[in-house]
Amino acid sequence: MYFEAELNGKKYKVDVTEQRSTWKVSLQEEGKNWLHYDISKRDFKEAEQYISFLFEGKSYLIDVIGQDTEYTVFTRNSFRTIKVFNDEMLLHESLKKGGNFGADQELKSGMPGKIIEIFAKEGEIVKANKPLLIMEAMKMENEMRATRDVKIKEIKVKQGDSVESGAVLIKFEEP
Amino acid sequence: MALFKKILIANRGEIAIRITRACRELGIGSVAVFSDADRDSLHVFLADEAYHIGPSPSKESYLNYKKIIEVAKQAGVDAIHPGYGFLSENTVFAKALEEAGITFIGPTVSNIESMGDKLSAKALMKKAGVPTVPGSDGGVETVEQAQAIAEKIGLPVIIKASAGGGGKGMRVVRKMDELESAFRACRSEGQNYFADPTVYIEKFINDPKHIEIQVFGDKHGNHVHLFERECSVQRRHQKIIEECPSPSVPNDVRLRMGDAAVRAAKQINYVGAGTIEFIFDNTTKEFYFMEMNTRLQVEHPITEIVTGFDLVKEQINVAAGRPLSFKQEDIKQKGHAIEARICAEDPITYKPHPGVIRACRHPQGPFMRVDSYAYPGYEVPIFYDPMIAKVITWGDKRDEAIDRMQRALSEFVLTGIKTNIVLHKTILDHPKFRDGSYTTQFIEKNFEVIEPQLFKEVEDPVFLIAAAITAYNDRKSKDVRQLNLTSNWKRVGRKLQLRT
Repeated sequence: MYFEAELNGKKYKVDVTEQRSTWKVSLQEEGKNWLHYDISKRDFKEAEQYISFLFEGKSYLIDVIGQDTEYTVFTRNSFRTIKVFNDEMLLHESLKKGGNFGADQELKSGMPGKIIEIFAKEGEIVKANKPLLIMEAMKMENEMRATRDVKIKEIKVKQGDSVESGAVLIKFEEP
Repeated sequence: MALFKKILIANRGEIAIRITRACRELGIGSVAVFSDADRDSLHVFLADEAYHIGPSPSKESYLNYKKIIEVAKQAGVDAIHPGYGFLSENTVFAKALEEAGITFIGPTVSNIESMGDKLSAKALMKKAGVPTVPGSDGGVETVEQAQAIAEKIGLPVIIKASAGGGGKGMRVVRKMDELESAFRACRSEGQNYFADPTVYIEKFINDPKHIEIQVFGDKHGNHVHLFERECSVQRRHQKIIEECPSPSVPNDVRLRMGDAAVRAAKQINYVGAGTIEFIFDNTTKEFYFMEMNTRLQVEHPITEIVTGFDLVKEQINVAAGRPLSFKQEDIKQKGHAIEARICAEDPITYKPHPGVIRACRHPQGPFMRVDSYAYPGYEVPIFYDPMIAKVITWGDKRDEAIDRMQRALSEFVLTGIKTNIVLHKTILDHPKFRDGSYTTQFIEKNFEVIEPQLFKEVEDPVFLIAAAITAYNDRKSKDVRQLNLTSNWKRVGRKLQLRT
């Protein structure tokens, strides 16, 4: 089964084949060669919440939480958020616009919280790494910054608003 | 004098569990309280009784002292332990308990009051002969006054707006010709942000460390110290790693700090567990009083491990009117202890990351302790502090304690939420932490580009393979579900076609 994945801004082509005794997983980072990995099914265990397998002799207990295209993978107190698109999704994306998957035009709240202060104004161009707003959750004030240069299209919240996880806070457009 | 029959613990999470444990070992009944969000929290299961005290926000539950006193009366307790945070330094609460005839396991109301205000605390400490940061005695009105003070105490100095906070209204002056403009800027910031132009001047410590001394007092006039803790590893001005003893304090300074802390406690006739916080100049090895915390602290276990005394039991003992169970000469530091605070937060952005804990296995093994309220299936709520566990390790020598902590953290399995475990592991390996030279600016200065360091532990392909196989299985199960949606008529028809 063919997928495309995005991890830490890097794009990968991924091919997974299930065989009787192994998982064959091939990865190709953009501009690099294909790498092939065989994960033995004898060492592959699936429990209710997690999977475990051997990779190059090391044993990993891994928890994968998947929602739509976003998979958060936890292991050994490290984690990664990976976007995974399967053939069906890739088709949908390509129908929408030239395969530009993962381009974020919105700032979303990663957790429920309260908006303390908003720095950006609609129509304004905010440079990368400049603060957009401060949100309070778990007694901490969290500054949310622009990850790239953006133009503020619409601010969907106001100071004092309580927001749920996943709520759209600010919409962007290209500056 | 008898100890209490039943204690209500006006707190939550790991500290509520810690106090419940002390109660159980002393044969005292324990009463937990919980908000809506904490119905399933571990402290609720472990106590003998548990009472609901209100909605999730702490203002409506753990800070609602009237409700807590009402529950205390209903449960028939004779004392309340406030833990840390919430009501632990609240004089209104302490006074209300006095009126209700319930013992507050903590210092006296006047102890809390006299240390609550920074300026009056500083004046009291001066009186007790405790070193305070050199500087102006109060507000500084003119540039000339400011220059005279700076000349007297020596550069660098820091000018601070009296009403300031959050980094506003603060200027460090390293050259005399910068003083005038910094002075004016601070005054105008004070006026603009806080409607108060008053500024004061203090000596600026270039290489500061946060060293604190644990003190204890009883109602019979006995006061002791249980040595120091170093708490300089901080992010967002909040401690995340503490150790005991400090790798930077020479023994003679350690004893002088202990004496000063005992003098401070005596000065206010302090009762119970308290901590005198000092700012420590790592270059000159001088120390200055910062403030006193009139409560038990998060990092108390490292003192317990190194001295061998149970501080919570001692708090209960002292609150019941008994004399301290140890004298100064009984208290020795043995070996080295380190504590790592495990928080539900993103290790790169330090943003909290509440959610459901899926897999959870606490580290085990020799010479360590885990104070935690995490368990599989527990949802870390957004309403409270993100700390979910503390790992404490002991070693005969400092290096052994650090290595043991690395080992313990590698064993800690916690999935479903992001945690700072990987940040701890990176810090413990850092040469500045290893050699003990780190200061309070350690994280700010050394972990600006933390991401590549943090993610060296596991290689990317492991994550990609796990995600890919899971995505494959998800897709496959979706296909199976789609097949099930087909009507039985069609399926039978297909089967018959295959037979022919």
